[in-house]
Amino acid sequence: MNLPIELLIALVAWGTLVGVDLVSLPQMMIARPLVAGTVAGAILGDIPTGLKLGVVFELLQYDILPVGAVRYPEYGPATVAAVATAHASAGVLGLGLGALVGLVTGLLGGVGIDLLRRVNSRIIHAAAARLESGDPAALVRVHVAALLRDVLRAALVTIIGLALAWLARPLLGSALTVRGAVFLAVAAVATALAAGAAGTLRLVGRGPNLAWFAAGLGGGIVATLWLR
Amino acid sequence: MNGALARALLRLFAVQGSYNYERMLGVGVGVAEEPLLRDLGDAKYQPAVARGAHFFNAHPYLVGLAVGAAARAEHDGASPDQVERLREALCGPLGSLGDRLVWAGWLPFLSGLTLAAVALGAGWIAAGVFLVVYNIGHVALRWWALKAGWTHGARVSVALHHPMLHKAAAVLGPAMALAVGAALPLTAAYLSAPFEAWARVALATVAAVSFLGLRLRGDRLNGLRLSLIMAALALIAGVIWR
Repeated sequence: MNLPIELLIALVAWGTLVGVDLVSLPQMMIARPLVAGTVAGAILGDIPTGLKLGVVFELLQYDILPVGAVRYPEYGPATVAAVATAHASAGVLGLGLGALVGLVTGLLGGVGIDLLRRVNSRIIHAAAARLESGDPAALVRVHVAALLRDVLRAALVTIIGLALAWLARPLLGSALTVRGAVFLAVAAVATALAAGAAGTLRLVGRGPNLAWFAAGLGGGIVATLWLR
Repeated sequence: MNGALARALLRLFAVQGSYNYERMLGVGVGVAEEPLLRDLGDAKYQPAVARGAHFFNAHPYLVGLAVGAAARAEHDGASPDQVERLREALCGPLGSLGDRLVWAGWLPFLSGLTLAAVALGAGWIAAGVFLVVYNIGHVALRWWALKAGWTHGARVSVALHHPMLHKAAAVLGPAMALAVGAALPLTAAYLSAPFEAWARVALATVAAVSFLGLRLRGDRLNGLRLSLIMAALALIAGVIWR
């Protein structure tokens, strides 16, 4: 992946915004892989690749229900890195390598979120006396500092993801045959579809919504066959 | 007071900015509530700000309900114990209602429609429409929650029993199931388009095995782990079988 510096800066900026949107500000769902991937594709002038990787990671996103203090991977900046990887390699090789880079970046992003929450806990614990005094300036300072740490975390995850994207082609692309590239792409797409289906069924449960899910699935299959 | 409500609403968009395992959203809630407390007398203001930053956890889009209700209760002269109890009582209901309405309803419903639209060739426009429509609901819910909390104060449970909320939750569950159910086969066809016939058979097999793995061993496996395992196996197979 050899990109002009202005495109790299744009991708880092977009990945950072996407990373911050996931939890901190403003949760408007630019962090959803479909959006993150489409815009990353637009930055690179390759929207179809952005959409394709966006769809793969959107399916994986169904596996996550962000309730309580649950830990989860972060697929927003991961999708940005995945699109950058796939853009550099055409066809199924791009799809497979992009998904692989995205998965590793998603894992690192999730670890980063957990680490940040632990750091925030310590800092807020240490600031307990100031917070208990009811000083609004101290309260805002603690909050804004945590927000800025998340900005830094999101930027770092995106930069690591783009570094992985830069390494993926020379390290793996040349070692893989066409068949190997297809294996990788098949594994990525198949597990994403499985995660999407399993995650949705978890949301749907065994109640009356299961019939609606079955109806949708049936309709989707008929539409797919009809459009072939 | 409208200016203070607007400031509180803006701050609510960053309510999770200092998310942590000790107070969860507490500090963010305190920051969002602070503009609504400014016209309390000096003796009441700082203790109320401190209370606002105590432990709190709920769905981020509905936190405004607690922010508005607690601020109103402070203005109405509720005792510190009453305010704390009100906040505690709201954590669970706001969490479960928000999860059902948004995380298990509005968001996957629109995401499913968008996946289907992309698979059918709508392109980037589908992602753009998703973003706009989703955020109409998102911002409306945040604003309603803050206004309802501020209006009802300690009697905020009235707002939680609003028929619209329950009707929305009842409609969004089936709609989400229908939309994502329809999107899955369309998406499978869209993603498998570049593969040859043998690869599509392999894809269907791996997807079926992975699905079973996730359903049967969901306690140990998740989508990310399984994807990484499968990708590693694919890399090894690709290197061996050249």
